[in-house]
Amino acid sequence: MSRTVGIDLGTTFSLVAWVNPETGRPECIRGPYGSTLCPSVVSLDEDGRIVAGEPARRRLLTQPERTIYSVKRLMGRGVADVQDELRLFPFRIDPESRNVIRVRLGDRFFTPPEISACILREVKGWAEEFFHEPVTRAVITVPAYFNDAQRQATKDAGRLAGLEVLRLVNEPTAAALAYGLDREQRGLVAVYDFGGGTFDVSILKLIAAGEGDIYQVLATSGDTHLGGDDIDNLLLDLARGEIRRDLGFDFGDYPESLQDLRKALIAAKHELSHADETTIRFLLPGGLAYVRRLTREEFERRIAPIVDRTFGPVRQALSDAKCKPSEMDEVVMVGGSTRIPLVRRRVEELFGRPPHVELDPDEVVVLGAAVQANILTTGVQDTLLLDVTPLSLGLETMGGVVAKLIPRNSTIPASAEELFTTGVDNQTGIDLHVLQGERELARDCRSLARFRLPVEPAPAGMARVEVRFTIDASGILQVRARDLKTGQERSADVQPSYGLSGPEIERMLVESIDFAEQDFAERQLIEARNEAETILHATEKSLADAESELLDPSERASISGAMVALRQAMAGTDYRLVRERTDELNQATTHLAELLMDRAIRSALEGKKLAEI
Amino acid sequence: MSVSSVASPACWNCGAPPGGGHFCIGCGKIQPLAAADGYFAFFGLPEKLDLDAADLDRRYLALSWKLHPDNFVRAEEFERNLSLDRSSVLNDAYRVLRDPVSRAEYLLARHGVRKEGQTKQQAPPELLEEVFELNESLEELRAARLSGDAAESAALGKRLEAAGRNFQAKLAEVDAELAAAFREWDAALDRSAGEDERARLMARMNEILNRRSYIRNLVAGVTHELDGAPDA
Repeated sequence: MSRTVGIDLGTTFSLVAWVNPETGRPECIRGPYGSTLCPSVVSLDEDGRIVAGEPARRRLLTQPERTIYSVKRLMGRGVADVQDELRLFPFRIDPESRNVIRVRLGDRFFTPPEISACILREVKGWAEEFFHEPVTRAVITVPAYFNDAQRQATKDAGRLAGLEVLRLVNEPTAAALAYGLDREQRGLVAVYDFGGGTFDVSILKLIAAGEGDIYQVLATSGDTHLGGDDIDNLLLDLARGEIRRDLGFDFGDYPESLQDLRKALIAAKHELSHADETTIRFLLPGGLAYVRRLTREEFERRIAPIVDRTFGPVRQALSDAKCKPSEMDEVVMVGGSTRIPLVRRRVEELFGRPPHVELDPDEVVVLGAAVQANILTTGVQDTLLLDVTPLSLGLETMGGVVAKLIPRNSTIPASAEELFTTGVDNQTGIDLHVLQGERELARDCRSLARFRLPVEPAPAGMARVEVRFTIDASGILQVRARDLKTGQERSADVQPSYGLSGPEIERMLVESIDFAEQDFAERQLIEARNEAETILHATEKSLADAESELLDPSERASISGAMVALRQAMAGTDYRLVRERTDELNQATTHLAELLMDRAIRSALEGKKLAEI
Repeated sequence: MSVSSVASPACWNCGAPPGGGHFCIGCGKIQPLAAADGYFAFFGLPEKLDLDAADLDRRYLALSWKLHPDNFVRAEEFERNLSLDRSSVLNDAYRVLRDPVSRAEYLLARHGVRKEGQTKQQAPPELLEEVFELNESLEELRAARLSGDAAESAALGKRLEAAGRNFQAKLAEVDAELAAAFREWDAALDRSAGEDERARLMARMNEILNRRSYIRNLVAGVTHELDGAPDA
């Protein structure tokens, strides 16, 4: 039997959960280090092997060049998009990267979906260890404000990790689902999700229908580049500046030390969630110390602009949902950054009621994902999520203007149909450019894909091609075209603007399987060679022994023949052949071994006699 | 926007006539989107405009339970795609029909009376004078703000607010007019009125919608100027 789990693929941490059939409740699965949180860190070790999670996080300090964190920030994005991130994050990006970013770890390059796949494989492994059964399917959560490319990249990562992604669920919706389990309350719910790298807000309506509970998302908004990371970077900028100014020290040559400082500042940030002040003590390479008292008051003053940035999306979502803050029946807090007292205070001020913080803000999303995974696999359908698309979908028209096809906050699945024709005689194709965003001009929106609809050559205006754009329940776009004159479905070869193409994914899948097999073969070869080395050494020693003179010449010849054959096999890379030749040498030396054994026994007996005398 | 027509005479699964609903009456399997019968028919409703919002909500939720892709996760790809098509049209139809204005626009477009993106943005003659005054106030306010004249800005702001309220009231009048036209249309359907009468009613609704769109833009312009809200 194979299992289905819910996975929260987070910027800082990832988690995996399932619904325990005995209790009917979602539970997080712990990893080998005892925690439910798997650091979203991946590292390439010196032997070219991938490590993910806690061991990778430890290598962040010792091997920063071979280790990557916060890769979620790069998902579904192009090189030009991430220039700001590069200033603050030690991503080493291949300058030749085109539509998909390639990050360097040691001497190899990886795309963000491949790195995320390593994290997914790690938590999938936790679950397999827990169940003692394979895990093949998952519901994975994404920030509600993720665009199509970011969603597709997440789905690709799942596939590369060997998971069938049943659904992508928006993080705030998953959180509402986890909270909804315990309450009878119906009405309007605001979910404020301030995580490590992303901010989301969703306004939901909980409806009790005859068939069960419906979670209808009315509106969502957010910022996919706003989170606790920004607070860490602000503190890091502050500390670096003070260290340079007061101690004359620059971290240029000490990337490891900078990571250490970052860790110390994050600890200080956590401390200030319950203490009024803290002191940062940091030893610099060379012996100087940076000692800095930080009060909660100063901390709050400094981070206030970051916290303020979350309220733009909050107001937008409320206005799109046609609601006032005071109309919310409940407010739910999600994400590690909602532990900051200032954040809680500001949210309470806006909505005029204390927010819910009963569930662990790190775990609430994955618990909801597990519930959705359970609904999709058991067929016990007592809950229905009706989510929305966060961004409007449009097409570029004459003059670079965008024509909206599907407005933002439309319930998904959603679709739009457009009829296209040709403008000039004998045109062989119609070029389309699909975009996502709220702005009027194509250049200000997110390019999703460009593609060409093939048409039969005919006088201008004769062709009739109907294109159906569908956003599925995971928020991912599908395009289908049909020639109305022939009734034929036309394949639209959609080239994603920022993402992996079908063939690229296929190649990665094959490579990852090859790598797995190659890794296995390499390990086998090393072990077989070691074993062969041992027996060759022992045989040589035995042949040098006087006792070997008792062997007849044919035996001696077969032994040296077997030794030559084994040495030849060892020069190759086929571990099976090395094993075979090793066995043959073992066979050939059986008599020799017996002779040596006899002598050993004899001398042992003689020794005894001597001792008896 | 029309529902695509991939009509099939027989059920893809059992071969019997499926009955024209979302599911085959014989075997219960979900069916491809039927010939262009439109959003009203999708909910099993006549093309009436004064519809009961609570009734539409109930129909929408009931169909959501049945058509949503959640129910088809374990089905074959063909069936999954049928669910995707039907549930997306369900959501599209609900979005269009629950709002009275987009509902009327949809009906008129379906009958070829109103073309998308070709609405007339002409000032209604009886409003010309007031619109002229409003535009003047808007420009004076912008000029006063640019020159930093706070007292003048405040005074103009007040005048503009009053004008805004005036147009807001006019918008409510137009909405009432539209609601009356809806009832007239529904009554005409009830007594199976002829083509000519229907065409006349639709033309009038189109004229009301054009007027409404014009006034709504004015109100939005005033609100925008007073709030100083940036473009979305």
